[in-house]
Amino acid sequence: MGQGTQLPVVNHYTAYKAKPFTRAQRKDVTILYGGLTWKHERLIQGALRNLKYNAEPLPNIQREDLDAGKEMIDVGACSPTIFTTGNLVNFLKKEAAKHGKEEVNRKYVYVTAGACGPCRFGQYHESYSMALDGLGLRDFRMLLMAQDELDQGENGGSGLEVNMSLMLGLVWAALCADLLGDLEYLIRPYEVTPGQTEKVLKQSVEYLYELFLNRPSRGEKYGALAWHLTTNYFTKALREVRKMWDTIEVDRLRVKPKVKITGEFWLQTHEGDGNYNIKRWLEQENSEVIPPAVAVWFDYLMHPLIHRMEHRHAYARHPKAMQFTLKLAERLYAATYNRLRRALASLPNELPDQAELARLAEPFFHFELRGGEGHMLIGKALYVYHHKKAHMVCELSPYSCMPNTMSIGAMANVLGKYPDLLYAPIEVKGDSDVHALSRCQMILTEAKRRAQTEFDDALRSTGLTIDKIRQYEVEHPELRKATYRVPHQGRAGSAANYVLHLASARGLGK
Amino acid sequence: MGFLTLPTWFAKKPSAARPFKDRSQIRVGIPKVLNIWTTHQFWLGFLMSLGIASENIVFSSDTSEEQGREYGKGRGTVDCCYPVKCISGHYGELIFGLKKKIHILLSPMIHSLPSILHGHVVDTLTCTRVMAGPENIKAGYMKGRDVFNENGIAHVSPFVSLGDRHMVTEQLHSQLKDIFNLDLEETSRAVRDGFTALDAFTEKARNQSRGILDWCAQERKPCILVLARPYHMDTGIGHEIEGDLQAYGYPILWLQYLPGDEDLMKWLFEEDLDSGRIKSPFDIGDVWQSSYSSNTNEIMWGAKVAARCPWITAVVRLSSYECGMDQPTYTPAQKIVEATGTLFFKFGDLDSTKPAGSVRIRVETIVHYMARYSEEIIQRKLARLSPNCPVPRATA
Repeated sequence: MGQGTQLPVVNHYTAYKAKPFTRAQRKDVTILYGGLTWKHERLIQGALRNLKYNAEPLPNIQREDLDAGKEMIDVGACSPTIFTTGNLVNFLKKEAAKHGKEEVNRKYVYVTAGACGPCRFGQYHESYSMALDGLGLRDFRMLLMAQDELDQGENGGSGLEVNMSLMLGLVWAALCADLLGDLEYLIRPYEVTPGQTEKVLKQSVEYLYELFLNRPSRGEKYGALAWHLTTNYFTKALREVRKMWDTIEVDRLRVKPKVKITGEFWLQTHEGDGNYNIKRWLEQENSEVIPPAVAVWFDYLMHPLIHRMEHRHAYARHPKAMQFTLKLAERLYAATYNRLRRALASLPNELPDQAELARLAEPFFHFELRGGEGHMLIGKALYVYHHKKAHMVCELSPYSCMPNTMSIGAMANVLGKYPDLLYAPIEVKGDSDVHALSRCQMILTEAKRRAQTEFDDALRSTGLTIDKIRQYEVEHPELRKATYRVPHQGRAGSAANYVLHLASARGLGK
Repeated sequence: MGFLTLPTWFAKKPSAARPFKDRSQIRVGIPKVLNIWTTHQFWLGFLMSLGIASENIVFSSDTSEEQGREYGKGRGTVDCCYPVKCISGHYGELIFGLKKKIHILLSPMIHSLPSILHGHVVDTLTCTRVMAGPENIKAGYMKGRDVFNENGIAHVSPFVSLGDRHMVTEQLHSQLKDIFNLDLEETSRAVRDGFTALDAFTEKARNQSRGILDWCAQERKPCILVLARPYHMDTGIGHEIEGDLQAYGYPILWLQYLPGDEDLMKWLFEEDLDSGRIKSPFDIGDVWQSSYSSNTNEIMWGAKVAARCPWITAVVRLSSYECGMDQPTYTPAQKIVEATGTLFFKFGDLDSTKPAGSVRIRVETIVHYMARYSEEIIQRKLARLSPNCPVPRATA
């Protein structure tokens, strides 16, 4: 080896590699996680604690997380990266100030996404590790979760055991949180007593948290799968939850435009400063929000695999069997979601058919273009448009998000074909809320007008009046219960559907 | 004569079953953008194998502000990085700017790329924006009215995984069969010819790079590595910064065509291999974990090569404004290069306009530092490497 020994030592750059998280450390270590809504995170906490893990979600994203993130990572990152990095940074800073860096390194591990194909989302951890360097916490353990494996540091670690029981717990927790989220946004705009929905929601989440905390153990493999698919443990609990929501009185005659939220996964799911709290803002602006479900994303992840099996059989040793298994898994997944929905009187939204989303998007965005939400953003916009599920689509796109900008561009073609589709792509930087919200408001004004026209048309066509409906409601108080289901009558707005439902199912009107 | 002989008599002869398909009059336009810069030879080989005359395969010009103004104005659909945005101008030039009209505008959505790192990284995917660019640009030409149709041009953007060769025939056949009247067999042959042309070109270019390194070793001269994405070779995107440097007498190596010869790689990475830091000279697991993106992976590998190769005394990093794939690599790439004292200069946020003044000042700075430190850098790097240098060097 040349004369290397006489020269200064070269310290080649080395990527962050987590120190191992071992099984023996499990009882003393707290797993940190985040990125979803507080409802999801609380139920996931129940599922993790059920398996004897200490688990804590990171605090909800705040505006100051953006500043902390910007300070620590390279310029030009997308806003979810900046927010989530800043969120971790602020948490660790506080903990380190309280307990010291050594204790932070010993006490916590952070689990985050480590792969997302071509999108930068799968490289978030590079920003996190840069921030850890900046904080002097290089020994802090960050575990990367790919869609099919978990990197737990040198020699495998195995502190977090990724088995069927864990995965099913996480998925079921996410599904239940989605369903509660749907109820929340469906009911809150129409609640008669302000704040009641919030109160019942919190009760429901805590009730389900206990449910996940006490989830019976049915093995780590197929026993657990069979139990989750067949048990009434969850449906029974959801029926109890439904009773809690029964107590909320609603006024369905409030005319509100319905806004479907789509966009980049983190940004559309998030509830807080990370997206200007836009869902709450829309409600304050007198509209009803259809929140995005994490469940749709799980469904989406299955589809490319099915497609590949159908088109390129060389991918698997037994392609037909693999294809059959995947299709079966998809059916079981949809059936499970619907079973849980039914326990809540089928009030939450059904999952859109993935094949239909792909078909609708196909002329504008190729099915196999990966990264972010792929073709789904266009598919979802056209889905709610054709099925009259919402008056307008609000697409939340992080500043400099790579896949999102592409689908927004392709939407120009969609809008050329469907000029009456109300579409508000909102770029979220994190610190320019006035600009983003006023842009949204411009489209919302037209959505409000359409909702009112639709409602007036419903009254005119049925010959009903608001007074007449109010009088009927007095005689039939069940109509004002939050859990009374109004089937879709081919109108986007809830109030219009309600009027048409009363006319057709209750014999009111002409 | 037996009864069973009759079908043989009346069966179509192979020659009759496949009539000659005359495609010599078909004109195909290809926007010279993004990853076409490193895969153009595949498309030439593929189309020529199908019988398209070489003079009927037309690439758009290099990107320029004038091209965008004249042909792409009003066609933009979204604000994204310039290398994608500028495709509007390329489309427009092919549609409106050619004297002899094209019949087909071929704008492939390249999903994955051939890469020297194939097999050593998780995947070789392209950037999401680059991959989906054609859908986005197409929208600008169809949002009001169908400009392609009005001009008698078929727009085709096949989704193709050039990094996964076994998939390419099926992909191109299913998506191009109606446009070119293709059967599977001739598609397969054309794909094979395409890859043969591409491989031959890439090998030739890598050999030329090796030649540059040999020359540097013999002449004891430094050279510069350009660490950039393929489209930075476009004079309208990379702004010919490497040309300005070359004018001072420094040979330029492009990352995409760095030599990967076994002897050279073993020599450069001997210490890393011996210490178990990496499993192969093409392994970037030591510096980059989520190795999905082809161009990003190669940037990290190129940075590693530059850090070790004695005659590469400076790295010039080019990056376009709002490049999301480059953003997480800024600090790691710089740290990799500078670990051995190799000079590192970054031209970031490149956009449509060439900042000529600042480029000139920076080029002069680079030249100054190279003149001052290159000899020392070469000697220091050589001292760290085994004396069994595979590159013929000048005797002292």
